[in-house]
Amino acid sequence: MKRITTLLTGAATLTVVALGAQAETKVAHVPGGPHPFFADWEPASIAAKEDFNLGAADYKFPQKWELNLQNDLLESLVTQGYNAFAIHPGDPVGSVPTLNELVGTGAPVIAVSACVNDPSDVSFCLASDAGASAYTGTKHLIEAMGPGTRKIAHFTGWLVEPNTQLRIDGVAKAAAEAGVEIVQVIADIDAPEPAEEKIGAYLAAHGSEIDGVITTAWVPAVVASNAMRRIGDKRIKMVAIDHDEVVMNAIRDGFVVGSMLQNPYGQAYVAAFAADKLLNGCEVSADAPFTSHPLTERFIDSGAPYVDASNVDTRADVDRAMTEELIRKVEADFLSCN
Amino acid sequence: MARLISQSDWATPMIVAVSLGVLISLFNPAFLSTFNIQVLLEAVSINVLIALSQMVIIAIGQMNLSVGALGGLAAVIFAGLMEVFGLPPIVAGALALGVGLAGGFLNGLLIGLTGISAFVITLATLSIFKGLNLAITQAQPFYEIPDAVKHFGNATLFGPFPIIFVPAALIVVLLVVFFNRLPVGRWLLAVGGNAHSAELSGISTAKTVVIAHAISGFLAACAGVLLVARLQLGQPTIGDDWLIMSFAAPIIGGAILAGGHVSTVATVFGVLIVAQITQALVLFHIDPFFVQVVLGLMILAAVSVNQWRELRMQRAGQE
Repeated sequence: MKRITTLLTGAATLTVVALGAQAETKVAHVPGGPHPFFADWEPASIAAKEDFNLGAADYKFPQKWELNLQNDLLESLVTQGYNAFAIHPGDPVGSVPTLNELVGTGAPVIAVSACVNDPSDVSFCLASDAGASAYTGTKHLIEAMGPGTRKIAHFTGWLVEPNTQLRIDGVAKAAAEAGVEIVQVIADIDAPEPAEEKIGAYLAAHGSEIDGVITTAWVPAVVASNAMRRIGDKRIKMVAIDHDEVVMNAIRDGFVVGSMLQNPYGQAYVAAFAADKLLNGCEVSADAPFTSHPLTERFIDSGAPYVDASNVDTRADVDRAMTEELIRKVEADFLSCN
Repeated sequence: MARLISQSDWATPMIVAVSLGVLISLFNPAFLSTFNIQVLLEAVSINVLIALSQMVIIAIGQMNLSVGALGGLAAVIFAGLMEVFGLPPIVAGALALGVGLAGGFLNGLLIGLTGISAFVITLATLSIFKGLNLAITQAQPFYEIPDAVKHFGNATLFGPFPIIFVPAALIVVLLVVFFNRLPVGRWLLAVGGNAHSAELSGISTAKTVVIAHAISGFLAACAGVLLVARLQLGQPTIGDDWLIMSFAAPIIGGAILAGGHVSTVATVFGVLIVAQITQALVLFHIDPFFVQVVLGLMILAAVSVNQWRELRMQRAGQE
């Protein structure tokens, strides 16, 4: 560990010396692994480099969703001269030591789209509130199903992913408030094959017994949207998550009621903006109005707007407005620049 | 006939699979609904190819860790060629299968030339194939799948029988003939049983290893291509979950990991057993936190039944 810290510190020092006193910001956007959710991070990096006059802003991903691969990549990026990081942590606890080491080299680190457990040295966490998003999505589903005794199924992601339990709790809370029964939670299906098999089997056997489906992970949302289209039974209402084209088309065609967005583009774009500011003299405001989150006290809610048939074709405008509001909020309320 | 069936190596997996099906349908009649059988057959159609891809390598006493990575690479190449270059599905499919064949051939060649164990070589090529996949896709799916391919992956031929069941069934028949009727199929089993004896009998071990891996790569690519049709997109994560299935089904089917004995038909029933167990866990509302535990226990039980039967048959033979 000490050797790594020495290596990272040395590399960072050399980089700073080489670039002069005023560091040219080189931001690395690093997800926990390859996943379609991060498709917008690359265009966000390119736009951020251009708009904020950065030395570099690049999207780099580990080959697999494994913590050690992400850690190795991060260390390699420091030696390549990256001096600011926007990271989707691979693990809320396991990522902390490596992120602290990065901060130790002088690089601002922002946790993006998922948080790490306190205490840590990261500047803050910029993400959608997964639990609140699942709660709101379920509320929309309950509204779409209408009054009466209702039963729903919940399809979600990896059980080891920190947001999964928050989402299960969020759905359960909304259902309990409305007296809706959750007859099944199918988890660990954020990959195409298990999702296809289990969602298909469930809908085949129990489709007639449920009134609604809530999905709170990307792949289950895509697979369930396709399944709804295939069944062709619009009696079962479904609320999805994220903005995969399959989901958006299913909303347009009436097979899915709506989807809870997360705006990964805006998250990555604003994180690059904040990281640049933090590297060049700004600090996190002492009285920053962070909101409460189960993992951290330094949480900025990037929002989770709901898209349905009425605004699905203007989703880009929804995202853009959200990004503009977020960047204004971060600059005005969370950063202190003298 | 009954005696022939009872003595065949696929009798026990078949009995387990049928019993399991009857048991599940007794508790939940929806299991036998047309749609559920269709879902089951779709899963089996693809998983059978994954399992056979590994079974061919188990036959020669080796392991192929790159089955999923190679299948995934073929899948994204199939989808990518159609989306980026606008190639017709037939051409894109043929090229993707060619990539699978070439990848498998490379595995076999490296093992044959270097003498390094298949475990190590395929561990290395797993990383290469997966890396190529990510380099091509940048971790993002290909979405522009032609309607004809989507139809092929999701339509039924008649009743609950999906169209993708046809190529899978055809490959099963070809492999049964391959292992039971063709000399080259017997070479694989001979090399798996005792490589030294096989060599002394005039069988080229190196050539046999290359053939086995080429077939394995081809079958993995077939699974990848069919999965793109079924999922209606070219996901870069295709293949990531194949490893356990690829070993579980042949082992449930009585394959000997040391090589020399495999059964294509028993492997098909092995796949059916795993698919039924997976479905049962969903149908009976098993708590998501215990799904993996229950799945593992049930696979263990299925393997134990098969082992018990084999031991009984051996003892009966000795008496």
